[in-house]
Amino acid sequence: MNVLSATAITASALEAEKMRVDITSQNIANAHTTQGLDGKPYQRRVVAFESVLNQEMGQNMQGVRISDIKQDQSPGEVIYNPEHPHADEEGNVQMPNVNIAYEMVDMVTASRSYEANLAVVRNARQMANQALSIGR
Amino acid sequence: MELVASLFASDNYTAVKKMMDVSAMRHAAIASNLANVSTPGYKRVDLSKTFEDELKSRIGARDTDAVVAAQPRTETDSLTPATRADGNNVQIDRELLDMSKNTMNFDALTNFASGSLKQLKMAITGRPQ
Repeated sequence: MNVLSATAITASALEAEKMRVDITSQNIANAHTTQGLDGKPYQRRVVAFESVLNQEMGQNMQGVRISDIKQDQSPGEVIYNPEHPHADEEGNVQMPNVNIAYEMVDMVTASRSYEANLAVVRNARQMANQALSIGR
Repeated sequence: MELVASLFASDNYTAVKKMMDVSAMRHAAIASNLANVSTPGYKRVDLSKTFEDELKSRIGARDTDAVVAAQPRTETDSLTPATRADGNNVQIDRELLDMSKNTMNFDALTNFASGSLKQLKMAITGRPQ
């Protein structure tokens, strides 16, 4: 049994949560991208987490990883703006389906989870330090 | 020699060593729970309740060999109801509290183990540290 090897699990979570923040920032950055590389408006990305059994830590111990990054297929808003370069003949512009409120909530959730996992590392370090000072 | 051997084989010292193992395993379980706080369908893991009762009774009975033989194990906790729609039953505040408690517990155990060794040192050198 080793306190420090539990940090392998925590490391996987830190990586996954950071990825979630990255995807959120990509969504927010593209909130007004009406023409992506495929010529269509940007579609928001959604991450899915899945747990990974970490056998070396013993039964039931599970790390986490991003299993999939999918595009949200729901349609975005259509606004009337004839001056827009990407407006169609009727003057309508198809906007991306990014909702800033959703993204902000996702970002806060991800950063709070990140903090919780950092606390795990801090505690593991404290425990390891205590174990090293036995007899002193 | 007799003193040294008996100190390391004492009930308390063996129990402390085992409980430090248990504490380390609980930390790993909490790490797993906090890592999966956003994983849909994840069920929290915890130290097996039957194991905890077993260890408590073995320590209570002062059965040193049985304490050494006890193997800490974890189990999936599906009894705690999931409060979220995705079936995940991890509550972040509860895990963080458990973690603080566990770390303090570990501190107490290491202090105890240190104490035993300090006693031995004092006996050898003949002066307090």
